[in-house]
Amino acid sequence: MEVGRTVPGGPAGETLGAAGPADERIEPLACGRDAADVWDHAVEGTLDAHERDCPHCRAAAADALGLDGVVHRMAAERPVPPPSVLDGVMQAVIDTVTAELRPQDLLALDSPAGPARLSRAAAARVLRHVVDGMDGMRARSCRIEPVGSGSGRTGTNGAAGDGAATNGGGADPFGVTVAITVTARFGVDLASVTARVRQMVVAAGEQALGVPVRSVDIAVVDLWDEP
Amino acid sequence: MRTRGAREDVCPPPRVPAVPREPEPTPAERELDDTTLVVRAREGDVRAFSALAQRHQAALYRLALRLVGNAADAEDALQESLLDAWRRLDRFRGDSAFTTWAYRIVTNRCLDLLRRRRATVSVEQVAEVAPERLAAPEAGAPEHAAEVDAGLAALRAALRTLPDEQRACFVLRELEGLGYAEIAEITGASETAVRGRIHRARRGLAEVMRSWR
Repeated sequence: MEVGRTVPGGPAGETLGAAGPADERIEPLACGRDAADVWDHAVEGTLDAHERDCPHCRAAAADALGLDGVVHRMAAERPVPPPSVLDGVMQAVIDTVTAELRPQDLLALDSPAGPARLSRAAAARVLRHVVDGMDGMRARSCRIEPVGSGSGRTGTNGAAGDGAATNGGGADPFGVTVAITVTARFGVDLASVTARVRQMVVAAGEQALGVPVRSVDIAVVDLWDEP
Repeated sequence: MRTRGAREDVCPPPRVPAVPREPEPTPAERELDDTTLVVRAREGDVRAFSALAQRHQAALYRLALRLVGNAADAEDALQESLLDAWRRLDRFRGDSAFTTWAYRIVTNRCLDLLRRRRATVSVEQVAEVAPERLAAPEAGAPEHAAEVDAGLAALRAALRTLPDEQRACFVLRELEGLGYAEIAEITGASETAVRGRIHRARRGLAEVMRSWR
């Protein structure tokens, strides 16, 4: 048997899908060198003096280089999936989101025209978009919670006034709290920019969502550099 | 840095930009890093997931195509894998890169598909095609209609004859350029097993390809 060149059983002789100790073991070359190391050195062009002179290593290196060229050509191929694949995925995702929307995923809005609800995901998207528009800031997580009794203002039971009733009849509890995580460009003034984030989130809540934002919890979770 | 505060009076309130309504991710969303897109998608932002899928679909498709060997199955595997990814985003903890996690989903999906496909092929059929067609390109297959590189066609055919786990490790290492540790994470095998499978795949393919040198 010519060590380093013969495949026991050959590729067609393998049991498809088999994986066991025999599959994991790497027989050393007759000279004692690790066959996989020699292969790696050959394709990386880092063969040492022994590997360049030893007939066993040279045979293994010849196999490696013979295969390497055609493997490179295959690696350079860039097939792309047809657009229909992603279109199908996104339609299924949208269908799933719609079908699985739960009452607690909805925020009740204070609308003079009657009860209105907005999905938290859509509301979060509005607030993230506002933060993304600020120089040197990007929004990551955005969690929106109703204030006070909370559940009284969400979902299908979120009629106006429930919150006030369950809060002991105090001041109007209608509104939300926002917990948002952001990433910032390295070098921005974090104190000033987070104050601005708070301002913008409050303004967006009122102007774009029609919901009073009672508090904003901001965490800067990462910094990034311009590419 | 974490700041927390009650609502501040703002006078006059800042002007809030309009939110785009188109279903496609915005150019700005397409530039966001994977971690940000994953967090957003996990919170139900469909456009963030769309941006992630658009960014990685070509690499995932390439992997699927090389594992299952034909475009139709690769498209199915990609579609099912992306849907799996959407459903299982909650389980992605961010310990590894999103790409590693997605590669794992695609690899498992393809290996499942191959196992199911094999279960429907009789032993006689396998015996008929295996040894003789090792280096023969499959003429007439649509994806090979324009195949002009005989060596490439031979490698493609030889790849199909490898055991599935060997082929997966070989493709991830040699065609996708991943390291042993990442391949171990994707395939769920030890690094030693990955190294062994890659080496056996290389030797098997080299044996077949020797006649094309």
